[in-house]
Amino acid sequence: MISDFILRMVFPVLISTISMSTPLILAALGGVFSVRGGIMALGLESMMMTGAFCAVLGSYLSGSAWIGVLCGVLGGMLLGLLHGVLCIRYKVNQVISGIGLNLLALATTTLLMQLVWKNRGSSPQVASLEYSGVVSPLFWLTLVLAVVASVVLFRTKFGLRLRMVGEHPQAAASMGIRVHGYKYIGVLVCGALAGLGGTYLSLDHLNMFVRDMTAGRGYIAVVINILARYTPLNTIWCAGIFGFSDAVQIIFQGRGIPPQLVQSLPYVVTLLVLAFGVKHITPPAGVGKSEDD
Amino acid sequence: MTIRRNLFRNGGNLLAATETIRMSTLSLLLAMVVSAIIMAICRYNPFEAFGAIFTGAFGNSRAISQTLVHATPLMFTGLAFTIAKKASLINIGVEGQMYMGAIATAWIGALDFGLPAVLHLPLAILFGAVAGALLAGLVGFLKVRFGSNEVISTIVLNTIAINITGYLANYPLKADGPTAQTNRILPTAELPRLFQGYQLTAAFFIAIAVCAIIYLVMNKSLLGYEIRCVGYNRLAAQTAGIPIGRVMVVTMLISGAVAGLAGAMLVLGVDKRFIVGFSPGYGYNGISVAALAADNPIGVVFAGLIFGALNAGSMVLNRTTRIPTDFINVIQAFVIIFVSAPLLVKDILPFHKLRRKHDK
Amino acid sequence: MRVVEMHDIVKDYPLTRALDHVDFALDSGSIHSLLGENGAGKSTLMKILYGMCTPDQGHIQIKGQSERITNPRQAINLGIGMVHQHFMLAPVMTVAENIVVGSEPDTGLLFDSRKAALVVDQLIARYGFCIKANERVSNLSVGEQQRVEILKALYHGAEILILDEPTAVLTPQEVEELFVIMRELRKAGKSIILITHKLKETLAIADTLSVLRDGRMITSGLSIEGVSADDLARMMVGRDVDLEMTNRSKTIGPISLQVRGLTLKGKEKNILSDLSFDLHRNEILGIAGIEGNGQSELIEVLTGLAKAEAIVFQHEGTTLSGDAHDFIQLKIGHVPEDRSTRGLIKEMTVEENLMLGYHRSPRFNRRGFFRPSAVRDFAQRMIKDYTIKTGSSRQRCGSLSGGNQQKVVIARVFSEDPDLIIVAQPTRGVDIGAMHYIHERLFELRDQGKAILLVSADLDEVRRLSDRIAVMYDGRIVSISKPGEYTETQLGLMMTGSSVEGCKDDNQA
Repeated sequence: MISDFILRMVFPVLISTISMSTPLILAALGGVFSVRGGIMALGLESMMMTGAFCAVLGSYLSGSAWIGVLCGVLGGMLLGLLHGVLCIRYKVNQVISGIGLNLLALATTTLLMQLVWKNRGSSPQVASLEYSGVVSPLFWLTLVLAVVASVVLFRTKFGLRLRMVGEHPQAAASMGIRVHGYKYIGVLVCGALAGLGGTYLSLDHLNMFVRDMTAGRGYIAVVINILARYTPLNTIWCAGIFGFSDAVQIIFQGRGIPPQLVQSLPYVVTLLVLAFGVKHITPPAGVGKSEDD
Repeated sequence: MTIRRNLFRNGGNLLAATETIRMSTLSLLLAMVVSAIIMAICRYNPFEAFGAIFTGAFGNSRAISQTLVHATPLMFTGLAFTIAKKASLINIGVEGQMYMGAIATAWIGALDFGLPAVLHLPLAILFGAVAGALLAGLVGFLKVRFGSNEVISTIVLNTIAINITGYLANYPLKADGPTAQTNRILPTAELPRLFQGYQLTAAFFIAIAVCAIIYLVMNKSLLGYEIRCVGYNRLAAQTAGIPIGRVMVVTMLISGAVAGLAGAMLVLGVDKRFIVGFSPGYGYNGISVAALAADNPIGVVFAGLIFGALNAGSMVLNRTTRIPTDFINVIQAFVIIFVSAPLLVKDILPFHKLRRKHDK
Repeated sequence: MRVVEMHDIVKDYPLTRALDHVDFALDSGSIHSLLGENGAGKSTLMKILYGMCTPDQGHIQIKGQSERITNPRQAINLGIGMVHQHFMLAPVMTVAENIVVGSEPDTGLLFDSRKAALVVDQLIARYGFCIKANERVSNLSVGEQQRVEILKALYHGAEILILDEPTAVLTPQEVEELFVIMRELRKAGKSIILITHKLKETLAIADTLSVLRDGRMITSGLSIEGVSADDLARMMVGRDVDLEMTNRSKTIGPISLQVRGLTLKGKEKNILSDLSFDLHRNEILGIAGIEGNGQSELIEVLTGLAKAEAIVFQHEGTTLSGDAHDFIQLKIGHVPEDRSTRGLIKEMTVEENLMLGYHRSPRFNRRGFFRPSAVRDFAQRMIKDYTIKTGSSRQRCGSLSGGNQQKVVIARVFSEDPDLIIVAQPTRGVDIGAMHYIHERLFELRDQGKAILLVSADLDEVRRLSDRIAVMYDGRIVSISKPGEYTETQLGLMMTGSSVEGCKDDNQA
């Protein structure tokens, strides 16, 4: 009885939670580097989406899933770089830049799908990551990356300087630290990780790209980022909550409960968390400002 | 140089306004040029594309009517975003508020109260506005009461609103038949077409009127003054005795009401019912409109018309060429980016640089 | 030997020339005071030396070597350190992290935080400061933060130390302690540049001085011997100034504001505890104290921005309650301590700012809409009456100079004929001309029978203007006295919480 329950309910939920939270953890980890360097990460969605698209494109063109992964990471970095150039060099409002890029990524990936595959809805199936066992190696890689991110941020000179840049750019500049350089590194790392998150969606979870593939996960990652107080290790369990509610929703589906309501569940949870849980979390003091150094 | 300085002294606003218009125009042109270059790289003929768009937008009276029809929701959503922006609130939730407005209007519009059109139509519009306002008001309340960032909460509420309306149109309000949509609204709630055979309804003129009213409220009224004070400097507004929390909630209510109107007008004038997934992202495109309008309610009218023309034209693009219509979305996204990055535009356009050197 | 020589430095900003062919030289092992008014170009000159700003013309020699300094890193490597007026410290990070950032001790790839703390603790011990390396900067007092800044410069090997207005935020005692530190540093062979506009301090500590005025070097490298404060003032301002201008009230009127047992609770402790005082008509009550001892919160309570408990809290017999709007209605005027955050909306026009807070008055609007001509006429009158220099009433307020911005705030408040005026830091960041004007206006209003509460971080200003002086420390009023009753030193002692009779050095306490 109990083992049956575990087999039929707990196990699938667990697997599903892991699979749903992996891209969220990756994107939120990316967000940590961006925000710690003083740049809001509202563009995570665009980086994930571009990552997901480029991964499929890379895999499609090369026939190798791993080249696809590399392309996904590079695609995310490209968007990270764009976000950086807009926010750092051109001092664009970081919210507007993020949203503009999200729209741009959605439009561009849809456009490119038509150009490459003559199909506006989805790409053909491509070589995806193959592995034995039920848990993706990318999940384990993600856990490792979270630990590495934590060490980099809190135990290295780079991390100390990046945090100083995010907290007080003028102070960092007055000590001769190249503020803009660190910010660029922050958004590039952010793009790489979010791009990897997108890659997970298109080459691991599925084996193709579909229009609006990320479907708001980038925004959820922003919320996770806040909830985790911008610390890498906290993102794992914060993302886990969202992955779990996603997983539960899948289980509930087809049991007479309208899917629209079940799908709203994680968002309602987010809203409640926003109202009651995020009050005392302050981002680094330099976030959102674009002053000269 | 002297003339410039005098202009600045006597009518700084005028100079600022012309400068804004110039930057918006340049940004738009730049966005189109960049898209054209992308088209050319993709081996499409950009002239053919823009030619088709132009024909589709202005080629004949039907095309012009289509432009105005497409401009209407964009004017509402652009205005909704602009209103919130005046209080320094970023209302990404226009899309969700529009969905709420649409479902409320569709519900009232399909109910048979035995009311005459003069009552039924305004009632349906009112419900749309109120539904949008309530959702946006919730965002304002969460911000004022709990300090929740409105960007995040509006994004979340968009998904919730789209899901809830989807549920309503799939279950309690579903019309008979295979598609997820509500019952057709009654003739008493329909916005009448202005010309036989054209889709254009009074909604377009209502949109212009609402823009004008909002312009007056923002610039000439006490409420608008307080909204702008809160938008520019919350602490100074508080010091001046302005109830900033209340002003923010009121601003969100107005913004949401206008977003709701977008949905209401689409239901009453175009679709005649609520259809799941009816919006191709009007709420988000409203951000482009607001950006191009430089947060000016009158500018919204023109920006809405420009994007309306692009959208109407894209239909023809779709029909007569092989060029993907998604170029229109690319242009819109570029407009947001270029308008919000004037420094970038100045870097790209060489004659600006010359001019700056000359000024020095 | 000259450690720093700056020749023929020119720096242009879009509308003004900040530095006009300026020469400057610093002798090794000396304390050099760089004097000048706000906006004279002192900070710009030093930012150029520190590489935060590049000059349009001119060259710099450090220890005889010609150098092009384009970045603070280069300046640091040349042995230049700068203590900024607005501290360059991240409050949520530790003292050690703030100090070592930029040249951190490491073990291979990793940052060695233990060693950093150790080194910083040694440095702290060497100068006898009472700071812990692992303390968060946000838990330190202003004086302590300044020491962290000095330590930071020393950690990075500074031989030449630039101190930008270091005394602006300190009590007289802390200033004395800073001077002790500075003399010690001089003894250790460091060369120090002191940027200041305070004459007394220059005379007390400097070996040599230079005076900047409107971007021009008036005197350079003058020895302090035989120089008087009047000479310096003349050089700084360009004309004779009355440094001691004062004007006491002749008659003290009835009580206007009565406060008994006012308490504002904070998260951990009381921010204001049990304040009691009276403010009379025809009186200026000055509040002296180090910033952060409850003055800002007192202003907020007195203007309806914050709510506190009180036994008696009455203005002209009416108990005060409600929000800022209600307080304004009760004819309580408020000149906020920071005009750019609370006083003005820089993006809006001069005329819109001139009615801020009084914009709901029926003379400006009818049925919810403004009457443009009424607004315009009022603005024109204010611009004339208060000699506000602006192109037009529809110019953006942010484009005005600091002094004229302050006049906009003052015109708005004073013209409403308030009975009680809360004036905070009325002359911060304004030039001497505007300062005199504002002081005169305050005297005038007092003589008309207004009750004025003046809060200022500038003890000299409080002493000059006030008919009575209340000293605040740690959320309490520790004394209320007549201006002559206590010396500056005694007032300063009270500002640090010591009783006048007892303690000598609160550092040992």
